[in-house]
Amino acid sequence: MTTAVAARRRSGRPAVPGAGQRSNLRLLAHQVRYEQLSFWRNPQSAVFTFVFPVVFVIIMGALFGGIGKNSYFGGLSALQYYVPTIAALSVLGSCYGQLAVALAARRQAGILKRIRATPLPAWAYFAGLLAHCVLVSVIDIALIVVVGRLYGVPFPSHWLAIMLTLVLGAASFCALGVAVASVISNAEAAPAVAQLVLFPLMFISGTYLPINSALLNRVSGWLPVRPFNEALTGPFARHAGVDWRNLAVLAAWGAVGAVVAVRRFRWDPRPE
Amino acid sequence: MPNAVEVSGLRKSYGRVHAVRDVGFTVGYGEIVALLGPNGAGKTTTLEILEGFRSRDGGTAEVLGYDPGERSSARELRERTGLVLQDIAVEPYLTVRETIARSAGYYRAPRDVTEVIGLVGLAGLERRKVRSLSGGQKRRLDLALGLIGGPALLYLDEPTTGFDPAARRDAWQLVRGLRAAGLTVLLTTHDMDEAQALADRVVLLSGGVVVAAGEPAALGGREAERARISFRLPDGYRAADLPVPSHSVPSHSVPSHGVPSHGADGVVVVETDTPTQALHRLTDWAITRGIALTGLTVQRPSLEDVYLELTSEGASARAPERSTR
Repeated sequence: MTTAVAARRRSGRPAVPGAGQRSNLRLLAHQVRYEQLSFWRNPQSAVFTFVFPVVFVIIMGALFGGIGKNSYFGGLSALQYYVPTIAALSVLGSCYGQLAVALAARRQAGILKRIRATPLPAWAYFAGLLAHCVLVSVIDIALIVVVGRLYGVPFPSHWLAIMLTLVLGAASFCALGVAVASVISNAEAAPAVAQLVLFPLMFISGTYLPINSALLNRVSGWLPVRPFNEALTGPFARHAGVDWRNLAVLAAWGAVGAVVAVRRFRWDPRPE
Repeated sequence: MPNAVEVSGLRKSYGRVHAVRDVGFTVGYGEIVALLGPNGAGKTTTLEILEGFRSRDGGTAEVLGYDPGERSSARELRERTGLVLQDIAVEPYLTVRETIARSAGYYRAPRDVTEVIGLVGLAGLERRKVRSLSGGQKRRLDLALGLIGGPALLYLDEPTTGFDPAARRDAWQLVRGLRAAGLTVLLTTHDMDEAQALADRVVLLSGGVVVAAGEPAALGGREAERARISFRLPDGYRAADLPVPSHSVPSHSVPSHGVPSHGADGVVVVETDTPTQALHRLTDWAITRGIALTGLTVQRPSLEDVYLELTSEGASARAPERSTR
């Protein structure tokens, strides 16, 4: 039997150049598929991820649906303002918040350690998570746009700019989510820590209310949430294209998150 | 053929705690070796260094010809080793088959999913969600994940903790079957019965050092130790009345006087190199007089006695001299 195993191993080794790339792609597809399966099977996570942003748009529509173009909302109608910020909020929620919490929980449960014991490379694991987050964000944004349409918000015209902003935002917030999961040690603390950082940040970044303070806007302009809000609001509501300046700020934060994540991420529930 | 695992002079500290001070042992291909010891003896730390989860502070370690601390060969080593951790760590919402198939996809040449399901005794439960499995079934699933990559070496960290006796026997049977199929197994346990039932060789750890190593039957010179016959005498009989030749019945408590000892609770203990003969004489003597030797037992020092003696406080202080490697 040992020889049979050895023979299978030899034949399984990539012999042709380029086969390594193909097997990496296959590995990634495999990982994405099972991440999706785990997610959709868990009724709680699926419902919370998609129901929450939709309910939020409905509430905002009920509260402010009648407010037309207005200087308070920067020349937009209330719902034109809220559709992109709630879209940003849903991306933040699934890429940053849920990811940090899920990773901390998986680490505590030993699931990450178990994954680490297999030959699956770390990049493939994280690429699988990122692909999952992008997919969830796309679905979220589509739902929000459709519900917004019911309140008279026109469909956005610059889909390409939105997609680029979305992918870059998702990647940056995923990196920050992994970074937060890396610096907190226990899963019970994860939701609190993640929210503690996120909630005030969203508030000063105009997610819930437009901010009319030059100082706050200047500060939050260098933090990750406002650039993302603005980069989405442009193509959503102002017929603008890709907002390179804001995307650069976002990408810089993503890079910071990635550095922290690479240096500090632990697979093992117990500290070294 | 070189060994599957070779460890020598292994050291690891967490801050000021010396979890592993000097550990050395080998595991031959096809062997089952148990790292036995109380909690905190350094078993899991040793295992985690070999699994590549922890760095070592000193010493050498080689697993299947690779250094487990070397990052460049980590993936290759993981292709060829399987492990079952102490905690059950599986996603609750996948089915049994999906969970195993997911892990199978991570390996270059995995074993057949259906075959592994059958091997661990989960046939018929393929479509069950993991969260609806019993604790024992989840452990089987964990084992399946350890085996799916077709490993040459399997690590089992306290594999039967929390099992009921029947499940434990099944698990032992399964591990023996794996060895018969050519697998090498390194396991940790604090359960002496488990070490005795499963392991070809036992490495006894205490306080981060190896205090004894060898076949379970011979551990700590147990084989060479004398048998102890103990019983109670009825009133009116003294230990000195016994017919056992004095040279073969040194007292337990006063070894050199050649008199069976009389314990405080009336238990007489006879230590002997020839238990068969001594027992025959004792029972013959008792039957002739029409008396009973109540509570009659014959014992060799159990693995537990050896374990407790070697892992006690004093023993760990002496440990470096006792260590055979």
